[in-house]
Amino acid sequence: MATEAIGWLGVPLGILAGTLRGSAPFLFVSLGECLTEKSGKINLGLEGTLLMGAMSAYAISYLGVSQWNMSPAISPWIGVLVAGLAGMGMGLIHAWLSQQPRVNDIAVGIAMIIFGSGLAFFLGKPFIQPQAPQLPSFELGKLLSSSPIVQSALQISPLFILGVLLAPAMNWFFKSTRPGLFIRAVGDSPDAALAMGVSVKKVRMLCIIAGSFLAGIGGAYLSLVYPGSWTERISSGQGLMAVALVIFARWNPIQCLWASLFFGGAQAIGPALQAVGIDKGYYLFNAAPYVLTLLIMILTCSPKKTLSGAPGALGSING
Amino acid sequence: MMMLKTTTWRKTAEAIAIPIGALLVALMLFGIFCAFCGKNPLAVYGLIYSSAFGNWRVFQGTLLRAAPLMLTALCTALPARLGLMIIGNEGALVVGGVAAVITGLVLSYGSVTPSAEQLQQVLAIPPILVQLGMALGSIVAGGLWIAAVGALRHYRAVNETISSLLMNYIAIALMNHLVGGPIKDPGETIKASSFVLPDINRLANLPTTRIHYGLLYGIIVCVIAYFLIQHTTFGFAARTAGGNIKAARIAGLPVGKLTVMICFLAGSCAGLAGMVEVAAVHGRVNESLVAGYGYTGILVAFVARYNPIACTIVSILLGGILASSGALQRNLTMPDATALVFQGLVFLVILYSDSLYGRLQIFKDPGPKAAVPPAASTTIPA
Amino acid sequence: MAEVIPSVHQGSVSELDAAIAPPDLEVVNMSKRFGSLVALDQVSLHVKPGTFHALLGENGAGKSTLVKCMMGFYRPDHGDIVINKRSRTIASPKDAHHYGIGMVYQHFTSVPAMTVAENLVMSRFDTTTVINWKQEMAALQAFMATAPFKLPLETLVGQLAAGEKQKLEILKQLYLHSKILILDEPTSVLTPSEADEVLGLIREQVTDGKLSVLIISHKFREVTSFCDEITVLRKGKFAGTGRVEALTVADMAEMMMGEKREPQPVEKVATTEVVPVLQLHNLHANKDNGLEALHGVNLTVHQGEIVGIAGISGNGQRELVEVLAGQRSATSGQVMVNGEPYAATRKQINQHRVFVLPEEPLKNACVPHMSVAENLALRTFDRPPQAKGPMVLFAAIRQMAEQLIDTFKIKTPTPETPVGNLSGGNVQRTVLARELSADHINLLIAANPCFGLDFAMVDYIHGQILSARNRGVAVLLVSEDLDELLKLSDRLIVISGGKFAYESAIAEADFAAISHAMAGH
Repeated sequence: MATEAIGWLGVPLGILAGTLRGSAPFLFVSLGECLTEKSGKINLGLEGTLLMGAMSAYAISYLGVSQWNMSPAISPWIGVLVAGLAGMGMGLIHAWLSQQPRVNDIAVGIAMIIFGSGLAFFLGKPFIQPQAPQLPSFELGKLLSSSPIVQSALQISPLFILGVLLAPAMNWFFKSTRPGLFIRAVGDSPDAALAMGVSVKKVRMLCIIAGSFLAGIGGAYLSLVYPGSWTERISSGQGLMAVALVIFARWNPIQCLWASLFFGGAQAIGPALQAVGIDKGYYLFNAAPYVLTLLIMILTCSPKKTLSGAPGALGSING
Repeated sequence: MMMLKTTTWRKTAEAIAIPIGALLVALMLFGIFCAFCGKNPLAVYGLIYSSAFGNWRVFQGTLLRAAPLMLTALCTALPARLGLMIIGNEGALVVGGVAAVITGLVLSYGSVTPSAEQLQQVLAIPPILVQLGMALGSIVAGGLWIAAVGALRHYRAVNETISSLLMNYIAIALMNHLVGGPIKDPGETIKASSFVLPDINRLANLPTTRIHYGLLYGIIVCVIAYFLIQHTTFGFAARTAGGNIKAARIAGLPVGKLTVMICFLAGSCAGLAGMVEVAAVHGRVNESLVAGYGYTGILVAFVARYNPIACTIVSILLGGILASSGALQRNLTMPDATALVFQGLVFLVILYSDSLYGRLQIFKDPGPKAAVPPAASTTIPA
Repeated sequence: MAEVIPSVHQGSVSELDAAIAPPDLEVVNMSKRFGSLVALDQVSLHVKPGTFHALLGENGAGKSTLVKCMMGFYRPDHGDIVINKRSRTIASPKDAHHYGIGMVYQHFTSVPAMTVAENLVMSRFDTTTVINWKQEMAALQAFMATAPFKLPLETLVGQLAAGEKQKLEILKQLYLHSKILILDEPTSVLTPSEADEVLGLIREQVTDGKLSVLIISHKFREVTSFCDEITVLRKGKFAGTGRVEALTVADMAEMMMGEKREPQPVEKVATTEVVPVLQLHNLHANKDNGLEALHGVNLTVHQGEIVGIAGISGNGQRELVEVLAGQRSATSGQVMVNGEPYAATRKQINQHRVFVLPEEPLKNACVPHMSVAENLALRTFDRPPQAKGPMVLFAAIRQMAEQLIDTFKIKTPTPETPVGNLSGGNVQRTVLARELSADHINLLIAANPCFGLDFAMVDYIHGQILSARNRGVAVLLVSEDLDELLKLSDRLIVISGGKFAYESAIAEADFAAISHAMAGH
């Protein structure tokens, strides 16, 4: 590979590039999960939602050009939108089912992982081969360097920028808008929300659906930006890691952003090392994000106290 | 006394009717889904039936798939009695399979990567002992794998669902690493694999069938698990801790020890499933071991409402769905993910059916004691 | 007050000018059923403008149901709410707010993870979506300046003391311009002096004609010192009304219970020997959030002695009980039982014969979906005759259960009924049966054992605890009910801020000093 031309510098550059390219799915899913959990429900099924998003975005982008005569500049964006809508559909199922009496939201999440991935693989079968138009990127590297390696490394997707802007926006939403305050109230103390006449069910329903919309967008990023194709292994647990990451980020959207960048970087270690010719223990390096997630959970959780920032009603069962 | 009898009868009827009803509803939804995809639902049902339960020959295929499912289902069902939701079945199966192959190869050839010379001569250890060793290896490996999840849950309050799922990915990465290097058979070039176990030390088939002894393993382990949970002091303690951890603590039950022990048992069941798969089906470890039995096992446990005996029956039903998947691909050109979609639907409907217990009118006690004031008084908020 | 918060004028309250007196509120012939249970049966109530009205009744008399119907949480099956002589429909708390009715709940309804300011702004029933914090804070500070009590606006509610939280609940209603305050046992989490302060300040507002108050209370002292009128409910029915000045406490009690009742006299056997059973040395423990709840507690409880621990909830008593019950681990210090270190393992519990009556027994001491019989066997299932080797013998468990159900008069359809299906009183009996039926008890730890139970049940439990004491059991009784402690204890200790703040033999106990210590001064 050409990266060898710049030798060992390729490793940090590769990790930086991987961070900029690979953290967006983490970011969208974790923000979606953050919104969901702020309202007091857990959605483990975002892994399935991510896959559905990836598949539907890719399918629409491909079909738009090949069947419906859309411009290749437009069809991927329609794909992004449809991915979000597909996410909302998944969210609707989760929101409705997880609020039935005695139904456990974690179990629903497991079911949604199976159902979502099944549906995505089933419907996505015809789209594994063809090449769909991709989303455009900002060529940040062109401004900074003439080296083609640096240029290709520093491509930034508008979706990623959208996600980065979304984090502070969501933070502001939770602090300075009435709906934001209501969501926090529902998640922390449903009784208090009820006493104010807020419908706990409705708020949770909307939060789960909106969160799933974001996860769907995260999926679109996977198939239309990076890695930029549709295969059944495209997510391999990223949705799940993003859910774990919200704990690490203490349910704070801004910290979700930092944590996502961190995870994007961790994911890039394996490929970056491989690119400079180190492929011993390739599989082990690829497991780094999982091990890292586990380690972070071990370090941040404690049996002695409840986590600060955790919504009070999280994990309670419907009566 | 009559009162009591009808009450328990109604409860039993409810406990059987609701899951069966849920399966039927899921089947119906699946039919609608098939219709949307342009397939005739009746043809799909017919094909599933004929290719899974239609005759003894295909039914053997169903039973073959049911064997690992019974074992992986226990990996979710046992901890569920303690209130833990563990879904690391696939990972424990893989780890168990790897451990079984390593033990098996060492006991057969004296080395995990035997030389050409060693391959010529299988060691003179009785096959039953080698199989026992493999089973033991897989039990210990799978057990420790999930016991770690339990320990993290208890001592670090790490969410066991997330951690066990992450451990699946780690287990698969570990297996890929091992078969790609340390235990690789250099002679196998298409798919990175371990060396193959000698035929003599592999699990045999039951007489006159193509069903291996793994099915027997599964049934026996399920019966033992049922007995353990329902009739021993250990099971009583686990059910108490699962029902209310605070009450268990007041009774002085060692919650941490129970958690780790139940998780060990759970993992060892899934590990044993891995041993069954490698010793009876594959003969070695490679990617084919990751066949989704773990994930289907989760579903089996839920449908069986964590009852180990029910797990055996549900495993056969879902084993049939897996067995028919090939026929659906060949005859109706439906993708292999069809089985996954169906499983997802069953799972969702089964979860919904949980909310129906005690709500369906026909299972309510019509007797005068039906509205016992105490029950009503709980509906009045303080 | 309205003029300092301009934004509120957008809300629906604007029609009720602050200068106008509170409306006249009447409930006429209200009925409400839950399934087969009649919670309210033709109840009427009249809160006249500018009065302090008390709603009295035993647990389960229907007080909460009545006020929840008035607030729009429940839809009554029958009956009218008449405001200023016009019949009105109240279908939600928002409607109630529209007519100037606001409620302060028994349990706090502020959100712990949010600040005082956020809670106040959020409680407003207007439609602004974006909150201009600069403007809001200015308005809130102006409001605080005129409010009867002051609270720091930027503090998280979770960090406020119980008394401050209760003040916030009342402030919220004033902030919302409620003209009729409904208070549901507002002082149950306050010290006597805090209660007097809060009720006194509200009384001033009522006397000034700015407010009407409807208060649910159990405490006759509060009723006689602050209220103008009472209405009494008994078993869901109207049982009487009248002016406080015309009634004696005995009259009120008779209206509540339907008969004159003397509390059963307490008989205590004098103990001769002084044998320490439970000893705590410098015990420290944390709350759920990791902050320290117990700051080094030392205590000895002797044979045949009841040591009462008084205190406002949230001062460390829950953590203390949890440590002793084995539900929480101490961070440092030592627990000794019979002179040996004690960590509440099953072996030690059995060896030292320690039993626990925790508060909220269904949550703390029962497995709701397991049967009454299994719950009764929780302490004994792994020993003969209920176990043989590793096997549990369910016939033996059932046999013992039938006996206990009979002796302790547990009302359950069968021993196999899940304990979660029983009423609160019968769950309590199940736990009592399990904890007090052992042939030899050495130490009994009881926490709020009578919370939320009716008079007969309270008498029964008190009797059981006393008879245990008279048999020589060492009893540690933690309670938020000072009357209960004064009645039962041999020695009284006050816990405040995780430390013991007062100790005296019951004969020398001084009410003023206890109250003072409870407030943490």
